[in-house]
Amino acid sequence: MKKLLSLCLVFALALSLSACGGSSSGSSSAPAEKETAEAAETADTEETMTFIMGIDPEYPPFSYMDDDGNYTGFDVEVCQAVCDRLGWEMKIFTVNWDQKLVQLDAGECDCVWSGMTILKSMKESGYVLSKPYFYNTQVLLVKEDSDITSSYDLEGKSVAVQLGTSGEKLLQEDLKDLADTFGELVTCDSFLKCFTELDGNAVDAVLVDLPVATAYIADHEGFRIVNEELGAEEYGIAFRSVDQVLCDAVEGALADLVADGTYAQIAAKYPDIVDNLLFLNE
Amino acid sequence: MTFTAMVLKMSEGLGRTCAIFFLTLLFSLPLGMVIALLRMSKNRVIAGITRFIISVLRGTPLMLQLLAVTYGPYYLFGFNVPRNKLIPVVIAFAINYAAYFAEIYRGGIESISKGQYEAAEVLGYTKLQTFMRIILPQVMKRIMPSVTNEVVTLVKDTSMAFTVSYQEMFTIGKQIANSQTSFLPFVVAGIFYFVFNALVDYVMGLIEKRLDYYD
Repeated sequence: MKKLLSLCLVFALALSLSACGGSSSGSSSAPAEKETAEAAETADTEETMTFIMGIDPEYPPFSYMDDDGNYTGFDVEVCQAVCDRLGWEMKIFTVNWDQKLVQLDAGECDCVWSGMTILKSMKESGYVLSKPYFYNTQVLLVKEDSDITSSYDLEGKSVAVQLGTSGEKLLQEDLKDLADTFGELVTCDSFLKCFTELDGNAVDAVLVDLPVATAYIADHEGFRIVNEELGAEEYGIAFRSVDQVLCDAVEGALADLVADGTYAQIAAKYPDIVDNLLFLNE
Repeated sequence: MTFTAMVLKMSEGLGRTCAIFFLTLLFSLPLGMVIALLRMSKNRVIAGITRFIISVLRGTPLMLQLLAVTYGPYYLFGFNVPRNKLIPVVIAFAINYAAYFAEIYRGGIESISKGQYEAAEVLGYTKLQTFMRIILPQVMKRIMPSVTNEVVTLVKDTSMAFTVSYQEMFTIGKQIANSQTSFLPFVVAGIFYFVFNALVDYVMGLIEKRLDYYD
């Protein structure tokens, strides 16, 4: 019995050792190792680097799941093109949007690249941020027969917003006075739920990014966007504070893609957002 | 945001957390007994159907049941999504917990030996009298630890009401965590739940003690 036990223990130890060996020799996502992998990448390209892209899988047209169940979207396609150009292997990690920066710090992904608004607080916290690539505004989505024509009509109404989005942030800070006039502010954990609440008459308006609203009304009848821009903002890519080199590499590849027209080709597939892409309208 | 402000803001949601907790217990404890009795019915069809319902309720995540109760009527029949989310939340929680309580009650009732029923019959008790005066008091004593287990789980499960945008304590904690890029609200939430459960433990302990006659 004792012999059997010790044999089992030895076996378990061997297994755990080999597991450790496996993860450290392969490209791992731990921040420290990423740096060395990155350095190795620029020095000699023997080992393929894995680049883990952090996305919100419910954020069309930037990142979403297509009809075949694969993740796609403008950001995903651009990231794929960047990785192809740099000879990296791309992996997708779906972040929990309100925990995205914690997950980035934890090394679960190497960047957050998913229609992400650049916030002052991110810069202050030391995250490396790419050049903005998209100009965006927040708009109100309402039902077609709604009597809401501007944000002044929202007094006493209930408004939905997605947790962790810039719309939510906006209502807490710059638009706090407006938010205080609402009858109720409903915070949902995905846009689908916000829209379901609106469609099911539980809320009167949804505060949402313009491209998401445009994409939604293209597919669903009975809604309209209130003609009022509520907060201008720019989208960028976030990296960990130690990953300036990584950011530079991605930005370099992006510049190449813009120069050779690949970027415009990808953008052409997403007509809803093409007018607001900063690299194409410089 | 200061630590005190954070705690204050989160305790605003604590009332809603308590609302889920107490309303769920209020409805699920008796409903569980009804389900348990149906499950033990001599009629095979009724017993079979109840058994199937219990297995669905226990075999699917509470989170899905919350979504189904809240948005199901809208997607299936075009009904309005309820504005007051407490109603669908309590319905989903009460039904789900009733299924678990039913199985606990059944275990308790079936643990009473047949001899006691026979003895009661000899003494001239009716079936209802036997159940209410002889069986149930013993069942109560036996199932208390299992019930406490479920009640403690319920405290923590209230955080799931977030799925349907019900602004309970944990939802507010998440919002603060997100806007402050801080992990502190989760620590605060953890302490809140722990204290809540310590109280639950204490109260359940008192009840167990009161039931601890004869021994």
